[in-house]
Amino acid sequence: MNIKEIARQAGVSVATVSRVLNHPGTVAPKTRERILALMTEMNYKPNWFARSLNFNRTDTLALLIPSIMNPAYVEIAEGVESVANQKGYTVLLCITEGEVEKERRYIQTLIDRRVDGVILVSSLLNNDDLNRLKQQGVAVVLVGENNGNSPEPMVRIDCCSASYQAVCHLLNCGHRDIALVYGRTPVMENKNKIEGYIKALREAGIPVRENFLIEEENTIEGGYVATRKLLGLKKRPRAIFATSDLLAFGVIDALRDEELHIPEEVAVMGFDNIRISNLMVPKLSTVAKPLHKMGLSGARLLLDVIESGEDGDLIVKEIILQSKLKIRKSCGHKERIKEIF
Amino acid sequence: MKTNFLGLPLKSPVIVAAGPWSRDGESIRRSLAAGVGAVITETIVSEPIIDVKPRIAFDGLGAQNIRLFSDVQIEGWEREMEIAKSNGGIVIANVSAHTPSELAYLAVKMEKYGADGIELGLSTPMGVDLEVVASDPEEVYEMTRYVVENVKIPVMVKLSQNVTNLSRVAKEVQRAGGAAVSAINAIRCVLGVDIDNMKPLLPTYGGYSGKPIKPLGLASVASIAQTVDIPICGIGGIDSYENALEYIMLGASAVQVGTALMLKGRDYVRRIVEELDRWGEENRVDDTKEICGKALEKLKSFEEIKIEPLISHADNSIACSADCNMCINACMYGSLSRTEDGGIKTNSQCCTGCGLCTFVCEANKMRLDWL
Repeated sequence: MNIKEIARQAGVSVATVSRVLNHPGTVAPKTRERILALMTEMNYKPNWFARSLNFNRTDTLALLIPSIMNPAYVEIAEGVESVANQKGYTVLLCITEGEVEKERRYIQTLIDRRVDGVILVSSLLNNDDLNRLKQQGVAVVLVGENNGNSPEPMVRIDCCSASYQAVCHLLNCGHRDIALVYGRTPVMENKNKIEGYIKALREAGIPVRENFLIEEENTIEGGYVATRKLLGLKKRPRAIFATSDLLAFGVIDALRDEELHIPEEVAVMGFDNIRISNLMVPKLSTVAKPLHKMGLSGARLLLDVIESGEDGDLIVKEIILQSKLKIRKSCGHKERIKEIF
Repeated sequence: MKTNFLGLPLKSPVIVAAGPWSRDGESIRRSLAAGVGAVITETIVSEPIIDVKPRIAFDGLGAQNIRLFSDVQIEGWEREMEIAKSNGGIVIANVSAHTPSELAYLAVKMEKYGADGIELGLSTPMGVDLEVVASDPEEVYEMTRYVVENVKIPVMVKLSQNVTNLSRVAKEVQRAGGAAVSAINAIRCVLGVDIDNMKPLLPTYGGYSGKPIKPLGLASVASIAQTVDIPICGIGGIDSYENALEYIMLGASAVQVGTALMLKGRDYVRRIVEELDRWGEENRVDDTKEICGKALEKLKSFEEIKIEPLISHADNSIACSADCNMCINACMYGSLSRTEDGGIKTNSQCCTGCGLCTFVCEANKMRLDWL
């Protein structure tokens, strides 16, 4: 069964059948329905390989994430996949480990493999790298702040203000000695989170203590190590804000090893609101990042670029999503107002 | 009766509101077939969530609904819109989001998929943070402006009654370039408590809708009409053509029907449309603009009300049931009593002309008149 046969049986030209497949909007709905029904009936499957040669399209996307061990990225991936799949695209998953060289190597491979577009999560690439992709006809969308000031379509949250709100919440809970445990990656986002932390403390008239800022790997182990360091200080913090839930899990683990009560002796606050943060004991207070929605929106922007060609009628180029405080038990608040809504 | 609303010529001012009855193309198409002026989609969001069960409760008066949004992803609406409009008709897309860019994205998409207008859902009674947006005039301004700047089709903003000053919010919609406001959204409620099991009827706060919220909707529409110049779409408890007229006479150019459709079906909505048309023919009102806001002119401030020497009078030529003493029971001033032959008499020394008896009497026997 081929396209000519479908056209003959439907009594239309080959061009019309082709348009049904490639530009369905240009065919009258009734004709289109009839042709699609006929294709199903005749079990006709377009030859995707020939199609990619014809249209220079492979219906393949790539998603580059820093890590697959961090469930936050998996939630983003789930969102990307769900939109891509609905639109008939296949997603290749690449793990960059937060290393710019590995990310660059992947980019070259993806260009060679003729993917239609890439979604870069917390990318370390610079504008030259991104331009190289675009020159090869590969559409690019960024999820989360990236390294440069590139004009690529982007989905992000405001990390600085999210972190500012989290620290303000800890201050409102009565904590003064608040430490920040931040991950080595993602670089730009954590830079903004540090900025929010400093801003909140300054506004409260609390001096920022250098030794209360600890950088570690963005993992559970990193959170553990950072907390051991903090607990070794002469003046220990009474609250710890971690820039990811994974780090916060490590923080809680270390505090428990020291038999410190959370939140009575040390309060803990995370960032991301990955699903299992609700299952920690005590339940983790955190900043809810709309991870799945970031994935959905990123994929949508990317498909818009691919389908409109060269930023055609792309009107909304940057989607800033809302993060919000998820107040549970680990931060030591006493009023329930925010916990409910 | 026709109307011009959002710059769209509608054959009837009756519009089907956003809600689960407009969940997909087919249900919208069926509503359009009932003869309404337009249909609004269920609220479309970037990230649909799975429905909870149960999610709608009813107590004989009003309904509580805890279904939040459409479960069709934005991609799916391309096809749904095509189905919705396959027999023609006007479809307005209701979209909701937490930030201006997220909201604009959805609006732009729905415009592309053929929506004739956009309704922005900036509030929800169920507690998903939109409460904050709805009551903050500046945020409403930002969200509206961003969408208005990004689409060519008219943008209407649906307002919530759960705010301190609704008129201020409506003004911001106008300033931001909104083409209309619609009011009111369902009201935050807990419908009731199951006292045997000591638990609320539904497990979270929900939106209260249906007949009981009509007076709140009327007041909101009236006060918005007194504040802004842009057209208003009245929503809340519309269950008959008379209710639609009430909204129109208080300043609405169009109205939305939701709960009545949910409880009684599309044929019931068709009846409202037809009866409104008939009323229009009988009263030679061809377009809502001829009666829009007519009752508003008689809605005064308290200080303007003239005090007249009125007391209640019973028309004893109208028979009433001997064991109904509603008027007597409701008379706080003790001025009403039964006559020996079963009529009602007023003690003019005690009656203060409050007027309550005229409303509680089912036989329509009581009226206020000069002393």
